[in-house]
Amino acid sequence: MGRELVMTREGAQSFFGRLIEEGPVMGPRERISQPGFVMFDWLDSAGQLRLKYTTTTIPPKKAFFPPRQPLFEFESSQPPTITAVQEATAFTLVGVHPCDLAALEMLDDAYAQEPAEACWPAARARARVIGVDCLPDEYCFCFGFGTCYGREGADLFLTPIGRGYLVEVLTEAGGGMLRLSDVEDATDADREQAAAFRRAKSERMTASIDASPAEFADILEEDDFGELWREVASRCYSCGSCNTTCPTCFCFDIKDEFDLGLTGGRRIRSWDSCQLQEFALVAGGHNFRRIRWQRVRHRWHRKFLYLYRDFGRPYCTGCGRCSRACTADINIVDVSNEIIGRARGRA
Amino acid sequence: MRAADELPVTEDITRFYRPELARVIAKQRLSEMMVLLRLQLNSAETLDHGPGQFLQISLPGYGEAPISFCSSPTRTESFEICVAAVGNLSQAMHHLRPGDFVGVRGPYGHGFPVNDMRGRDILCIAGGIGLAPLRSLINYVADRRSEFGRMILVYGARKPGERLFKDDLAVWDARDDFETRYTVDEADADWTGRTGVVTIPLRDEVEIDPGRTTAAVVGPPVMYRFVAAELLEKGMVAEDILFSLERRFKCGMGKCGHCQLNDLYVCQDGPVFRYSQLLGRSEAIEVWAPEDERK
Amino acid sequence: MSREEPIPRFGHKPQVAFFDFACCEGCQLSVLQLEERLLEILGHVDVVTWREAMTEQSTEYDIAFCEGSVTTEEDVERIKRIREQADVLVTLGSCASGGCHNELKNQWSMDEVRRVVYGDAADTISTIPSRPVTAVVDADYRVFGCPVSLPEFMTVVNAMLTGQSHQPPNQPVCVECKLNDYVCVYEMGKVCLGPVTRCGCNAICTAYGDPCQGCRGLMDAANIPAMLKALKREQAHAIMCAVVQRHELSDDEIAAKLRIYNNWPEFDLKEAQPDDD
Repeated sequence: MGRELVMTREGAQSFFGRLIEEGPVMGPRERISQPGFVMFDWLDSAGQLRLKYTTTTIPPKKAFFPPRQPLFEFESSQPPTITAVQEATAFTLVGVHPCDLAALEMLDDAYAQEPAEACWPAARARARVIGVDCLPDEYCFCFGFGTCYGREGADLFLTPIGRGYLVEVLTEAGGGMLRLSDVEDATDADREQAAAFRRAKSERMTASIDASPAEFADILEEDDFGELWREVASRCYSCGSCNTTCPTCFCFDIKDEFDLGLTGGRRIRSWDSCQLQEFALVAGGHNFRRIRWQRVRHRWHRKFLYLYRDFGRPYCTGCGRCSRACTADINIVDVSNEIIGRARGRA
Repeated sequence: MRAADELPVTEDITRFYRPELARVIAKQRLSEMMVLLRLQLNSAETLDHGPGQFLQISLPGYGEAPISFCSSPTRTESFEICVAAVGNLSQAMHHLRPGDFVGVRGPYGHGFPVNDMRGRDILCIAGGIGLAPLRSLINYVADRRSEFGRMILVYGARKPGERLFKDDLAVWDARDDFETRYTVDEADADWTGRTGVVTIPLRDEVEIDPGRTTAAVVGPPVMYRFVAAELLEKGMVAEDILFSLERRFKCGMGKCGHCQLNDLYVCQDGPVFRYSQLLGRSEAIEVWAPEDERK
Repeated sequence: MSREEPIPRFGHKPQVAFFDFACCEGCQLSVLQLEERLLEILGHVDVVTWREAMTEQSTEYDIAFCEGSVTTEEDVERIKRIREQADVLVTLGSCASGGCHNELKNQWSMDEVRRVVYGDAADTISTIPSRPVTAVVDADYRVFGCPVSLPEFMTVVNAMLTGQSHQPPNQPVCVECKLNDYVCVYEMGKVCLGPVTRCGCNAICTAYGDPCQGCRGLMDAANIPAMLKALKREQAHAIMCAVVQRHELSDDEIAAKLRIYNNWPEFDLKEAQPDDD
């Protein structure tokens, strides 16, 4: 483990080609209908893979927790039958940035919390993961979150260098994959180029949250930001895009649907968002987070306070997807820093 | 992560969400809106629930919803739930007949802490359909009567016709080791009992020894803050007041996020909470004083 | 699940009729495009009246699908008669369900409308301010959209035939857009009404990179003031800055965009406050 090798550009092309021949591979690729925009999707050929990309709308968690997922099929016979939906194909997820790797680990922890959920770990067990390093845009703020250089959950990790990629072999499975590849030992020059890439990454990062996760959690726990929550809420559509693009959000809804024959159907689990108006509505009609600012506050509290206390890390990776997706210009960094600024101003 | 050749292929990964079948063995209409269903697992196992716990009940195609047990675990051959016809699932459940099947998952959550309540006086305060979950506790106490002190029930319904469990009420009334106070918000021509909200008989007619009393309160959200004020007035402390909260559980396992109340998951940490647990939590809006509503 | 009558509302195979009021009839056409799925539905019901699809007609029916807007006094009487006959009334499309283009004429006096449209013949034509079917009679089910979204139509039919109610979704189009992993059209420099518009269309427009025009109407707590701020203010958000610079929308222009599908009752920007705070 921890070996460093080099895969040339051409070598990488043939490696991913063989990987795709061997089994399903999901990775970043250009959208067919919207050129220039990259999404995680199943790859047909190595040529589709875009290892150099800034971000995607939807994070790679969708490989393990699809936005809509059948839990089981049913037939309304007497007695009814319920058939589990079995997904058992192994696959490889490639091109995962360090922030998204961290998110996968966070979801490992969240779903493993007792009583442990089984869909997520089973899907994770089916997959090998190849990470790749990246350069930030103005929405990224992973540097202060310790997710900037993370390798957790990856079997292989690639850093772009002049002649291709520096390959870190992180697990046995990762080493096993390299049988499909021609790799060479890394030279000092290769290592220096990789280090330079990482320096460039941190140097180009312009956004950051001005407090440590621990301090930010303490600040939020004081919870004296009613005016600020209302100000943010006045701009918020409650469209849920901050949640639906978040790599660490894991809330879901469960619904049934009938087939046309009206005797059979399936129970579906789908991504949900705590920002939507009806998220906390109960059968009797009470809505326990009816007011918009309560939902806005809940988002910050859940990410930076509750889950921080539960798992020892904020459930935010600094990927910036929520800020990018927010057409109301609610930027998670700006709002967080406003909170921190007000708290310090009062102190 | 595992390599392809080590892959476990037979694991049933959706088992957490997949219900077991249970059979309807009896159905009784309690009011216009409510039916009582007695259920038995198809496997003939017992669910082994505690008073105040809930289960996820479903009909294929009509969805799944959380519902409290309303039978005592001391009566093991079956379990009962009380269903209000409010949505698609519950309305479909009103059409069920003995012999029909439903899906169940559970039991889930922390119910009433009966071990801590042993030896103490039990004051149950029920509003409307809140009597259903409390019935699991009341009949538990009834079946193990010697283990508890006084058993006091204060029950308020909106109208006489909406009163639930009239058979049980008659049984409890008849026991000389039960103290019962019933009231309705709106009387009809036949009603000879009290009229007014549940806090009135609680205030005027219930004397307790606050140090040895545990209160168990289930009712509509608006009821809690007024009952809490009354119980504190009687000298009770917040630790001894138990509230059962309603949230929209989708999974029952602290994952779906719908029931989060500040840092707590109502499905895991509740649904029964001590008042003292809720006081510092801004999202326990049931227990806020009315002027705090928009805090 | 094992009830004697799997369809509790009807004791027999229900009879279905389709009716149209003032509209383009595109919703009916969409339903015809269901093709083989339509045949499956027809296994559960008998269609007895459907002008666009068959010649027979019947005055006896259990389920009425109605599309279009009510624009004359005769329409008012006709929809009331249909409501009386039908056990279940389903409005098809935004014209019938909540409001659509037809209501744009309500900005002018009816005299002016008749004169502009019919010229010399204006006096021979009667008209009233346009309104959705749901403004005249109650609907049991509403399917929004211009035209209706077929997946949602199927969901509503399934709900109806299994005795379930169906609430129109009360979430914005953004939810479905994101769950489908589409690119936000704001990122392409376009102005989209998705953040305030009721979903249920499975984000069919943004799927093709087109902005949402709001055809399903505003969702309940649509934050219009937020939209005015987002589309006008100086922003730190590079993507939105580019959109705003490119389009420079005034309040009136934003209101005009929203009015297209939200002019029943008349849309007033000043009164458009979100109802949850």
